[in-house]
Amino acid sequence: MHRGKGMKFVGDSRIPAERKPNIPKDYSEYPGKTEAFWPNFLLKEWMVGSVFLIGYLILTVVHESPLERKADPTDASYIPLPDWYFLFLYQLLKYKYAAGDYTLIGTMVMPGLAFGALLLAPWLDRGPERRPVKRPVATGLMLLALASVIYLTWESVVNHDWEKAEQQGKIVEVEIDKEAPGYKVYQKQTCIGCHGGNLSGGSGPSLIGTGLSAEEIANIAKNGTGAMPADQFKGTPEELKQLSEFIAGLEKK
Amino acid sequence: MLQKMYDWVDERLDITPMWRDIADHEVPEHVNPAHHFSAFVYCFGGLTFFITVIQILSGMFLSMYYVPDIINAYESVYYLQNEVAFGVIVRGMHHWGASLVIVMMFLHTLRVFFQGAYKKPRELNWVVGVMIFGVMLGLGFTGYLLPWDMKALFATKVGLEIAQTVPVIGPALKTLLAGDATIIGAQTLTRFFAIHVFFLPGALLGLMGAHFIMIRKQGISGPL
Amino acid sequence: MAKKDDVSRRQFLNYTLTGVGGFMAAGMLLPMVRFAIDPIMKEGAKQDMVPVVEVSKVTEKPQRFTFEIEQKDGWYESKVTQAAWVYKDKNGDIVALSPICKHLGCTVDWAASPAHPNQFYCPCHGGRYEKDGTNIKGTPPLAPLDVYKKEVKDGKLYLGQAVPQ
Repeated sequence: MHRGKGMKFVGDSRIPAERKPNIPKDYSEYPGKTEAFWPNFLLKEWMVGSVFLIGYLILTVVHESPLERKADPTDASYIPLPDWYFLFLYQLLKYKYAAGDYTLIGTMVMPGLAFGALLLAPWLDRGPERRPVKRPVATGLMLLALASVIYLTWESVVNHDWEKAEQQGKIVEVEIDKEAPGYKVYQKQTCIGCHGGNLSGGSGPSLIGTGLSAEEIANIAKNGTGAMPADQFKGTPEELKQLSEFIAGLEKK
Repeated sequence: MLQKMYDWVDERLDITPMWRDIADHEVPEHVNPAHHFSAFVYCFGGLTFFITVIQILSGMFLSMYYVPDIINAYESVYYLQNEVAFGVIVRGMHHWGASLVIVMMFLHTLRVFFQGAYKKPRELNWVVGVMIFGVMLGLGFTGYLLPWDMKALFATKVGLEIAQTVPVIGPALKTLLAGDATIIGAQTLTRFFAIHVFFLPGALLGLMGAHFIMIRKQGISGPL
Repeated sequence: MAKKDDVSRRQFLNYTLTGVGGFMAAGMLLPMVRFAIDPIMKEGAKQDMVPVVEVSKVTEKPQRFTFEIEQKDGWYESKVTQAAWVYKDKNGDIVALSPICKHLGCTVDWAASPAHPNQFYCPCHGGRYEKDGTNIKGTPPLAPLDVYKKEVKDGKLYLGQAVPQ
């Protein structure tokens, strides 16, 4: 390329008038079987990408992305679960020395140390050796961290009640008629406190599609069942009838 | 025709050097799976980038329907998933992509770590890479809240409790993230939306740009 | 070696690369584009007929009646008030006109201009329409007012969607 005096430009711009040929470098003299990135290697990369994309699209079609029911901040019985890649942290916080008085260890110290060590790895592991076996400390610590993350994730998966998790988040497609006299009684008699504003359950179970008859429901309201104490219902018999018929009429769609 | 258009632009802007700079770089034998199958481990970084592109695209399209508001967020997600054609696929791409990108990035990190590729002179690129890792986790955490369903709300509650345990600045940090000292609601959602859609992607693009420029400058690390 | 019009190895690679790249772009973008253009592809929801007024109250002079319709806007459902100019024509048939001016969407009013007592008048740009909704030549609107689909049941007038005349 021409440099210095006598350079020609396009118009009054600073673009050189001399055109550079648009051809790739010659890689044949490079050592080994070096290849050009464009187009040789990129083609292979994109072919892998295409296969990956097909698999990915199949995944999205086969497994619909989950959506639970609308957030209800009053539902105190919901057991939260983070996305899977935070599960190990979630599990870590269940252990004695990472909870209670030691919460800080679980939430800050351990993740902080791990992340900090990762960030500063080039300065912690300064030797010239690159092979994993030649730097046993770095390799060992990483394997240890890896094993503990896998173990903690595994533990949290095994210990989680997936069936209940699915139940508690289900979208309930029942239109609750909140103007119905039965619902008014439901509100007034504080059933709402445990069974939720949509009768979908809270600390008490869901009342939708119980399969019980109105008489059975009336009986439970008066005498309790399971964890539900007796004498929860303090209204008139007329109200009890309205309530039990209202709840018995809630069918799962 | 295409060649003529190219020449026309090239005459005015001299784009050939820029173009050659992107296209011309060597791919050494030891990273090419066509020569050594074990070199497939070098694919993880590229796949991470590929999924990131999908995430950005699908996110842009999702935001055509999504509203970050506690009354309408859930309804709009439900609507776009169930009533808009291909809504299941577009939301699915974003949802599964979020997991896949973490997997790929994790594998990429392990590859670089076990090969000791972060050693001199590539320390800075490693640091930028770990920062990208952090940004991605942040994107996962903030994006989890946006559909405003049960798991979104309660997982975020826990996440914010964790933020609160930070000594001294914990409560302030939580309020900063949630928009309110006690409530996790309307203001939390808009904040998480802004972080998920503007702040973190902005940071991500900057960091990824730096990551790629450094790779091009230094070339890929040599064989073990 | 190679003849001049032979495809060189590099060209071949470039073509394949374009093909594979196009496939990937299409695989990614097709679902997303279909997702984005869904509002165009969706058939307009049929609007229910809504009772507006008792037939006996409709006179020969156009009167403005309002009625509420259920509007479904994506995930947002709301009640929207619409208005109609309703009158009986010479044959005793009921006519219900939309008050939306066909010029730029202002609201027209009956006999609002003292100079034209028997016409619909749009205050924005002085557009005028005959009683039957026909636009008057020389005023801004280029089409007659829309008419509502109508139905009379049990002595009540029901109105549906507004359609162009």
